[in-house]
Amino acid sequence: MKSDHSTAEIGLATTRRGFMKGFTATLVAFCSLLVGVPLVGSLVGPIFRKISPSWMMLGETDALPLGQPTHLTSVDVQTDAYIRESVTRHIWAIRHSGKEVTVYSPICPHLGCQFDWNPSTKHFECPCHGSVYSLDGKVLGGPAPRPLDTLPTKIENGKLYVEWMQFKSGTSEKIPV
Amino acid sequence: MFSRLLNWIDERWPLSPFVRLALDEEMAGGSSYAYVFGSSALIVFFLQIITGIWQLFYYVPTLEQGYNSLNYLRTEVPFGWLVHGLHYWGANAMVVLVMLHLSQVFIWGAYKRPHELQWVTGVFLFFLTMIMSLTGGALPWDKRSYWLVEVASSAAGTVPLVGDLVKRLMLAGGVIGQLTLSRFFILHAAIASGILLTIALIHLVALRKAGNAGPWDEMKRRIKGPFWPDQVFKDGLVVSLIILALVGLTVYLPPPYAGMADPLDATYIPKPEWNFLFFYQALKYFPGALEVIATVGIPLGGFLVLILIPFLDRGPERNPAKRPLAMEAWAIIVIVYVALTVAGATSKPEGLESPAPATQPAPTATPAAPAAPLTAGAQAGKELFQTQGCTACHRIGATGGNIGPDLSGEGLKGRTQEWMITQITNPRAHDPKSVMPPFAALGNEKTGNLVEFLQSLKAESAASKGAAGPSMAAAQGQVSALTAQPGPHGENGFAVTIIGSADHGELLFGETCTACHGPQGTGKVPNPGSDDGSVPSLNPVDQDIFNKDPKTFAATIDRYIQHGSRPEGPSPSIVMLPFGDTRALTQQQIADIEAYVMQLNGVDRARINHPGLQPDAFFWITVVVFVLMALAVAGLWSRRADREVGKQEGK
Repeated sequence: MKSDHSTAEIGLATTRRGFMKGFTATLVAFCSLLVGVPLVGSLVGPIFRKISPSWMMLGETDALPLGQPTHLTSVDVQTDAYIRESVTRHIWAIRHSGKEVTVYSPICPHLGCQFDWNPSTKHFECPCHGSVYSLDGKVLGGPAPRPLDTLPTKIENGKLYVEWMQFKSGTSEKIPV
Repeated sequence: MFSRLLNWIDERWPLSPFVRLALDEEMAGGSSYAYVFGSSALIVFFLQIITGIWQLFYYVPTLEQGYNSLNYLRTEVPFGWLVHGLHYWGANAMVVLVMLHLSQVFIWGAYKRPHELQWVTGVFLFFLTMIMSLTGGALPWDKRSYWLVEVASSAAGTVPLVGDLVKRLMLAGGVIGQLTLSRFFILHAAIASGILLTIALIHLVALRKAGNAGPWDEMKRRIKGPFWPDQVFKDGLVVSLIILALVGLTVYLPPPYAGMADPLDATYIPKPEWNFLFFYQALKYFPGALEVIATVGIPLGGFLVLILIPFLDRGPERNPAKRPLAMEAWAIIVIVYVALTVAGATSKPEGLESPAPATQPAPTATPAAPAAPLTAGAQAGKELFQTQGCTACHRIGATGGNIGPDLSGEGLKGRTQEWMITQITNPRAHDPKSVMPPFAALGNEKTGNLVEFLQSLKAESAASKGAAGPSMAAAQGQVSALTAQPGPHGENGFAVTIIGSADHGELLFGETCTACHGPQGTGKVPNPGSDDGSVPSLNPVDQDIFNKDPKTFAATIDRYIQHGSRPEGPSPSIVMLPFGDTRALTQQQIADIEAYVMQLNGVDRARINHPGLQPDAFFWITVVVFVLMALAVAGLWSRRADREVGKQEGK
């Protein structure tokens, strides 16, 4: 009779320990999730943030030579995360006739290098992987997947403005990032 | 499968012995809720390590961007508010838990042989926790941080002989700068935390080597109970509740936005975090040469006495009832600590009891205070000078702006009463280009009081003689040039990137802006010569200026405060002064005022733009999940227990 009783107690004690183990495991899982989800979220969340485009003034349109690429620089106030600062940007501008201007982003659409104008071949050439573009931006050679990226422009009071934006590299489509 | 993997690892790395060291222990006296403080402090420390590292994905330890980068984490990064909030409240929890753990071990007499090493390492852990709390407080680089660094290093500077060297070592030079913040940062994020982790491991191994001390009653100690799962369960339950509480505190009592560090802002009254308030208060009782007793004697003496306790008190008796001396000493320490903390928390600096705390008392640098006590009229004038916004432009002694002339020595200039009354009520009668607003609305009596006060100022301030002259003239030129334009114009200042302190902004607003915009920005102060006829209200602000988005709203107000504005109309008497361009206000102060003006209009400058999940929703979801989970496991257990009982009864 007495031994029966103690078996019951031992049985209960085993169950109680089992409960403790189960509950402790659940608590650990709970706390890991409670802390883990925000930790992952704080790293993943900002990766989809958008760079807000901004208009930069490049100068007098009339000052640009006709049919010839000109390397222009301008200063833009940009906010990158918590830092707000002036950054110098440069672009390629080509005035066709009268008031018509094409502005290329200086970034090669292949893998993001900076291409340059070769006056002797009259081509844009990328030093990294040898992509070659014509004056009107078409791919003439090399691995480039798409023509040079044009940037939106506007002319106000004879001054040329360009909207600075960047595009995904390596794709045949021009996709803003 | 699992055991095979375990075997494979065990042949190459001692995993099983490590697990046995961590979990397999027969505890003297069995498990108890009295023992949860140490493990709770340990787990919260791990939480601090994780959230601390996570903050480093965003935080940079620089004077210019430290504050902004932390606030970017808090407002723009999903769950960033939680990562920082957990770290902030976790730090407070760690201090509390370590103090409770230390007290419990002391009361239980658990420091006695063979547990001396546990005690000594534990005292080191306590001091390292306080160092972490101190160095961590410097990192947000807000106003509290700046003064914490200033006071802590100056306190260290009082050490005899080597004080100056110690202070220079702490500051990485003679004054606070970028290298100072770098030092506090690396001490916090690498050195002190690394030592803390190492000593914590030694502390834990010592616990396993010597075993737990258990209850003080010899008979109770003979009953043994396993550490796993009995004690781990109790620890886990308490730790989970602590983490839930930390989330709750983060949601409902988020860390304050104290405004960016600003050494030029004399209106800010610094006070340390709660755990150092006792020290702050104690310093007041040791003036002059005695100060070193409080700055060095108390911390160093306390540390030594604590370390030596197990070697001073070698008697085997552990029952607190039979250790009256030890208990009394402990009670006295706790009472003194609590009393000093409460006194420190409730104390106000002298001279600031009045509702218009316009000036920081600076006894040595206030030549404005005349030897003879002020007459009643001059006293009233002094109060008017502080409440009517005069300090925004005029300096007396160490405080005030520099748009207008320094008035520290106004009584020496031999100006007649009539001249001064005219200057106050109609400044352009003396100088047509003056930007000083006419204070004709004051009335004869108040103007008289002001004149009486100004004529009592007889200090030969250097600034009033030489330096201020040209710079003031330059500032005036700038003012007239810039305020020629109506509406907001010019570029935003640095202030626009700073999340200011609305609380401090309220104080600054009272000093600088109330004169023209009225108390809380509501007053319609008359502005003859302008189309509106009065100064625009800021509460509520014009619809064209208001914006629900805090950043856009701040950007608009910012341009007014930086560059001033000229009201529409033929000849407005009052123009908005360019507080930023003239440096009458620092960028940090402008940010604080912007936060306050936005608060008046129901917009929170520190709004969380990307919360991940709304804080209160996050808290309640975790609470509900916790309760459901507890109920589910408890239900499962009670069914099993019933089955067990049923099995026995069926026999």
